[in-house]
Amino acid sequence: MIPQSGRRMNRVTILFLALITIGFIIATFDVRSEGDGVGDVLREGTQSVFTPAQKAVDWVVTPVVGLVDGVANLAGLRDENDRLVDRVRELEAQVRATDALEEQVAQLELINGLVVPEELSTVTARMYSGGVSPFDNVRFIDKGANDGVVVGQAVVDEDGLVGRVDLVSANDARIRLITDPLVSVGVRVQSTNETGIATGRGDGPLRLEMFRANEPVQAGDLVVTDGSRFPPGLVVGTVATTAQAEVGFVLRSSVDPAANLSEVDYVRVIVGFSPVDPSLETGDTTAIANPTSTTTTPTTTTVPGDG
Amino acid sequence: MRRSRIVISLVAVVIAIVLQTTVFGAGRIEPLGVAPALVTLVIVAVAPYVEAEITILLGFTGGILMDLIGSGTLGLWAMSLTIVAYIASRVSYRYKDSVWLSLAAVFVLTVLGQSIYVVLGTLFGQETATEPNVASKILLPALWNVILGYPVLWLARVAFRTRDRSWVA
Repeated sequence: MIPQSGRRMNRVTILFLALITIGFIIATFDVRSEGDGVGDVLREGTQSVFTPAQKAVDWVVTPVVGLVDGVANLAGLRDENDRLVDRVRELEAQVRATDALEEQVAQLELINGLVVPEELSTVTARMYSGGVSPFDNVRFIDKGANDGVVVGQAVVDEDGLVGRVDLVSANDARIRLITDPLVSVGVRVQSTNETGIATGRGDGPLRLEMFRANEPVQAGDLVVTDGSRFPPGLVVGTVATTAQAEVGFVLRSSVDPAANLSEVDYVRVIVGFSPVDPSLETGDTTAIANPTSTTTTPTTTTVPGDG
Repeated sequence: MRRSRIVISLVAVVIAIVLQTTVFGAGRIEPLGVAPALVTLVIVAVAPYVEAEITILLGFTGGILMDLIGSGTLGLWAMSLTIVAYIASRVSYRYKDSVWLSLAAVFVLTVLGQSIYVVLGTLFGQETATEPNVASKILLPALWNVILGYPVLWLARVAFRTRDRSWVA
């Protein structure tokens, strides 16, 4: 006869093994379905349950964290303010010069009969929560299908590319940051005009691979999107290490993201761009019944589509 | 009594997930770039006060919720936290009455949970093991959990109405 404690321990161990088996089966199914199907439905459902609580906590926490940050940085604020005043004056001078140039360009376009590509519509959104662990490179924003957001769209902030829309519900969306290993961005090094792919590594600099590079890349070279998946010309970052391709080999380097991903608060989702490969936009049709028939008018601004 | 303890444990896990994704997520409070692992902390904290089966189910539930909120493969956190909960349920009688042993358990089990996730993530095709700073993503949450450990462990005592007041002194 098994003693009482022994029987109980057996029950505990059996439960433990059963749950591990269930976890293993769930993981296998999720890998097999490549993130589609039931998994995504469950994710959307769970997120929609947690969203009200997350937004409420975010509403309470944001001012407190801002206050603590402000107090912590009080000493450096005066110097920062002086520096920013100088910077604003400098930029105002640049804007005046740019206005004059834009006028000249417009006249030249008119004379030569050029068709200028339309500027891209964007939707401004606020990030209200992040991932559940250091291995999660995702953020949640307060705009969704009702605002014209669909899976695959680029997300930017004032510094450059932040990530892409990964999961969409009616009023919220999940962004996968460019540092995520599942995010690859077609890029062009501006100094050489050669293209490659920048892939996230989970943290820190992106991995840069250029398959047909004839010229070396230098540390500090600007890297922008090439227009295949995201709108062309969005700043991705700068080359971190100088590198040169050996004959017949891939040029490998790394890219420091331009956007400070740990301090992103407000972002813009570029809703007015279709990628070259239409299959990249698949998966969003279930999230949006009919985006053109929504009653909500998105608050749109524009970003240049090429530059 | 038993039912109320289960409800309290579940609520604690849900609160931990909400705080994890808001207060400590989205780049807000992430000392050295890494946030604490609150769900693991809650599981270790409640293990001494609920039955072993409940602790294990709590670990699995917390893990699957983390999987559903997160972006990784479904089931990985569920497996990781089930293992953590199983071990916590087996050793909780050893650390229940000592603050230092409790904090040591928090540290060790957090490191274990993060490490298991890294291994499982690699086995299931994620690049968790090759991520830069993977060591800090394992060790720092454990360190932050130890710092948050005392108030959380104390809250668990209060929530489960333990009469023992040895920790107060």
